[in-house]
Amino acid sequence: MTPGSGPSFGLLVRIAVLAVVVVFVQIGVVSEVPLFGVSIDISPLLVVFVGLLCGSTVGALTGFAVGLLVDLTLVQTLGVTSLIFTLIGYWSGRLRELRDPQAALTPLLVGAAGTAAALVGYSLMEFLLGVDAPVSLELVRQIVIGILLGTMVALPMWVIVRRSLVGALPEDPRRRRRRAYTTGGLSPLSRP
Amino acid sequence: MLLVVVSLLLLTAYFGEAPNGRLHAVQRDFLTVVSPIQDGANKALKPVRNLFGWIDNTVHAKKQRDELLKQVDKLRAELVSSQSEKRSYHELLGLYHLDDQLSIGDYHPVTATVVGKSPNIWYATVDIDQGESAGVHVNDPVINGEGLVGKVALATSDGAEVSLITDSTMGVSARLGTTNATGIVQPKLGDPNDLLLQYLPANTVANPGEYVVTSGTVSSPDDSLYPPGILIGQVTSVNEESAYESVNVRPAANLHNLDVVQVLTAAQGTLPANLSHLAVSLPVGQGAGASGSSGEALASTGAG
Repeated sequence: MTPGSGPSFGLLVRIAVLAVVVVFVQIGVVSEVPLFGVSIDISPLLVVFVGLLCGSTVGALTGFAVGLLVDLTLVQTLGVTSLIFTLIGYWSGRLRELRDPQAALTPLLVGAAGTAAALVGYSLMEFLLGVDAPVSLELVRQIVIGILLGTMVALPMWVIVRRSLVGALPEDPRRRRRRAYTTGGLSPLSRP
Repeated sequence: MLLVVVSLLLLTAYFGEAPNGRLHAVQRDFLTVVSPIQDGANKALKPVRNLFGWIDNTVHAKKQRDELLKQVDKLRAELVSSQSEKRSYHELLGLYHLDDQLSIGDYHPVTATVVGKSPNIWYATVDIDQGESAGVHVNDPVINGEGLVGKVALATSDGAEVSLITDSTMGVSARLGTTNATGIVQPKLGDPNDLLLQYLPANTVANPGEYVVTSGTVSSPDDSLYPPGILIGQVTSVNEESAYESVNVRPAANLHNLDVVQVLTAAQGTLPANLSHLAVSLPVGQGAGASGSSGEALASTGAG
């Protein structure tokens, strides 16, 4: 999203459908197949990738909506997941707006960072809200495994999110310019 | 910024309100709407889940077979000794007219299918496809063929949310199989394969492998009245503490792979339901089962 232009209605519909599908697939299938005792969480990956593709405003909005949907569906403390997902959606969007990373491994690193932020952020929030039960050191292991698993599925998730949204994404002038230079077009600096 | 503020307001309001507050009601209403969709999605996605489950089962099959073979040998030896004990036990029950006890069937079990699970390591909850229309209510105990699974945390007309025994909100009054020492089973957050049986009397002798079962008592008015004698798990190790002893317990039910569970609804007017009302109405520390030997055992069902 470029400054001054809002997200199109088509893009928002696609994101909404994708969010609902991802949350239900997460709850109905992915959560029920634990690996090394930990369930993969694909919802933070959806949020960071929407932010990475659409910018900070849409990223934060998606984060809030997905978080609210997760909290409502799983009967968790309302607002905790929304808060964390809003922040990671905004952060990934800002990353795109400020740095616009193009490396092939960007989705992998952003996915890992998003999963880590979600897991650590959630744990911090729970500690702040007060925990009644004893806490095991295994929690650290679970968080580390969760981050590794999130990183593992980051690339397939990136492909799914990008393919689902690519038709509705507006052309970014900076990318168009960059493409023009790399495919033989002249940079404005080298023009006579 | 606005979304962050809204999130914080939601969080503060939700955390501060009572369980029957407005935001909790919204959550319940949302679950009522979502339950049929979740049920449908669960049926549609079942083949995918089964495929992953099959891969997981295949990977672990050999290890499980070896463990089970060892268990069979051990159980065979135990069976021989327990058969003679059982005969003596029934003779004693008849002698003291205690053989008219409650069984699980008296609690009106409702069979339900698990349709969703939380991916969050802080929340151990599952969604089931039976709700108030089938007689399921908040705080009803949930079991499966292996043992205690948890209790109903929220019920809507066609679905319910079940807190597993590994959820941070859970605490179950329990006793050690052989010594009859009672305590409270709590989860160890972050380790879904480990529970902690706390507040056992300091001189309790607990051995690894010993069974831990529900005591059939409640420790507070908010507690669920679990029928006595439901298997919770097996002792894995003993922790030495100053005033009380605690033991680590591995849950008997495979909570990672729940498919079908039973909700013990104890329909209105039945003996278990009446006992349940009686137990929660007793003031803390005044119950018939209060032994003074632990931090719980406040109201006995008289059924075990």
